[in-house]
Amino acid sequence: MNPLSSSEPPSRLADLMLNDRGFAFDPNTGESYQLSTTGLACLRGLQQGASVDELVDRITERWEVDPIAARCDVDAFLWDLQQLSWL
Amino acid sequence: MNKEPYTPPSIRRVSQGSANPQRLGRVPVMDSIDGVPVADLIRQHGSPLFVFSESNLRDKIREAREAFESVYPEVQFAWSYKTNYLNAICRLFHQEGSIAEVVSGFEYEKARSNGMPGDKIIFNGPWKDPKSLRRAVEEGAMIQIDNRDEMLALARIADERKADLPVGVRIHVDTGTHAVWSKFGFSVEDGEALRVIRWMRDHTRLKVRGIHCHAGTFLLDANAYVIATEKVIELAVSSEESGAGVIEYLNLGGGFASRARLHGQYLPPEQATPSFDAYAEAICGTIKRRWPSGHKLPKLFLETGRAMVDEAGYLISSVVAVKQRSMDPAASSLAAYGKGAVTPGNVLGAYGKGAVPAAVGTQRNAVVLDAGINILYTSAWYQPTIHPASTPASAAQPTTVYGCLCMNIDVIREEASLPDLKAGDPVVLHPVGAYNLTQSMQFITYRPAVVMIDPDCGVHLIRRREVLEDVQGPEEIPDHLMEKILSTKF
Ligand SMILES: Cc1ncc(COP(=O)(O)O)c(C=O)c1O
Repeated sequence: MNPLSSSEPPSRLADLMLNDRGFAFDPNTGESYQLSTTGLACLRGLQQGASVDELVDRITERWEVDPIAARCDVDAFLWDLQQLSWL
Repeated sequence: MNKEPYTPPSIRRVSQGSANPQRLGRVPVMDSIDGVPVADLIRQHGSPLFVFSESNLRDKIREAREAFESVYPEVQFAWSYKTNYLNAICRLFHQEGSIAEVVSGFEYEKARSNGMPGDKIIFNGPWKDPKSLRRAVEEGAMIQIDNRDEMLALARIADERKADLPVGVRIHVDTGTHAVWSKFGFSVEDGEALRVIRWMRDHTRLKVRGIHCHAGTFLLDANAYVIATEKVIELAVSSEESGAGVIEYLNLGGGFASRARLHGQYLPPEQATPSFDAYAEAICGTIKRRWPSGHKLPKLFLETGRAMVDEAGYLISSVVAVKQRSMDPAASSLAAYGKGAVTPGNVLGAYGKGAVPAAVGTQRNAVVLDAGINILYTSAWYQPTIHPASTPASAAQPTTVYGCLCMNIDVIREEASLPDLKAGDPVVLHPVGAYNLTQSMQFITYRPAVVMIDPDCGVHLIRRREVLEDVQGPEEIPDHLMEKILSTKF
């Protein structure tokens, strides 16, 4: 599965309600989630159709982290989102 | 361009009640200790690092002395060596007027080497080796008899010396506030202590001059001392009435609580820990009320340990790894440790075999520190507060704090309130000044250095970090194991 191949965000992601402090509400399940600031940036990126490389770039541009660590963490985050069936 | 501090992208399910991350409260950042930046301390002395505040130590003993001396004519504090016997700390207490309280031949030697003459040493404990016991007699130490065998040994020494020997007698009492420490001394409730005192009067040259009672440790209920003191006085009066001579001193041991927090303790230490004034009133008020009128008030000895030194001690440590762990309490490491109900499934889960992957979003942060429970022995009973030592990158949330040992039980806090941390971030654990150093064991790592910060922000190394030779110095290798290849009949 490669959820990031299309520039259209998957519908579950598009349905999410997100606020600026990283609070996310999933109307499909009624569950609420708290995202870290970098998690929020990734989710916003995904909603805009960003690729994994682009997500890593966004993170390394703004936060104090090297690309390899950022890549490792973004991959783990995407895996979490897949478990939630958001991707 | 200055970048922002990084924490990894994460997602957590928000739930009500027990999983509410706010329920643990906020723990303030501690980026310096007594005015010295934590970062500087790590740079100069490494991590982990024990740090003691000289000001705090001096303030505590002065506050305790003031509380007791302002309500009672003759009080003498004795530094309980086992609580922390780093020489710098012992000497500080001796400078502040405390004599020494020791519980073994080793501690006795240490007190002597710290300049305490024998008559300024209180010798306690259930086992005083024969050589040390004899030395203590010769040097006029205040020996507190723990048991029949010791009493007989002392009686023989006194006979040999053809001289009366003043002694104290240790008792245990039921205060009704906590489990009786019946391991130590003679029982007072069933008359054993008085019987033994009478026997000494009739058959030995031992002269009972003091009654000693250390009723327990971390006694959050000051009332325990009212009851203990009443029972000590009852025995003292009966002893005198029996013709065994004048009781010149009472020794109420240690036991005052520090501002630590027990596991499961509901009230925060600021509310739960009694003041020195409350303890002083419980002990001195009772003596003044109950001591027979017309008799000189006895001298009062106190052997306060943890309340003097716990809060002066900090452990700086650093995060070495960050993990995500299930919030499912059945999978917590304590399940494998034996606390709480353990089903076979739980145990397997805790050891990692057959663990069901926790639902995403129900994970919690876990960090591994560069210090383990081998140097934080008291974390078995108390929960040290863990302060971030640098500006937090996120709000605080429940975090499991593991030590660095290769053992599943090495959990320093099951649940501490900490922001997102990353490898390299320093934290400060507090209070850890009592018992951790003396009870620490060398296990797979070197024990850390210890520094003391003086009131002018001077940092003094009071114990260097261990090196290989400290650990293997006492070892010997048999000759036939020195060769690489086996060349003997074995
Ligand atoms: C005889 C005696 N005195 C004093 C102490 C010091 O006790 P604490 O640290 O509770 O004040 C102890 C500790 O167990 C003890 O056994």
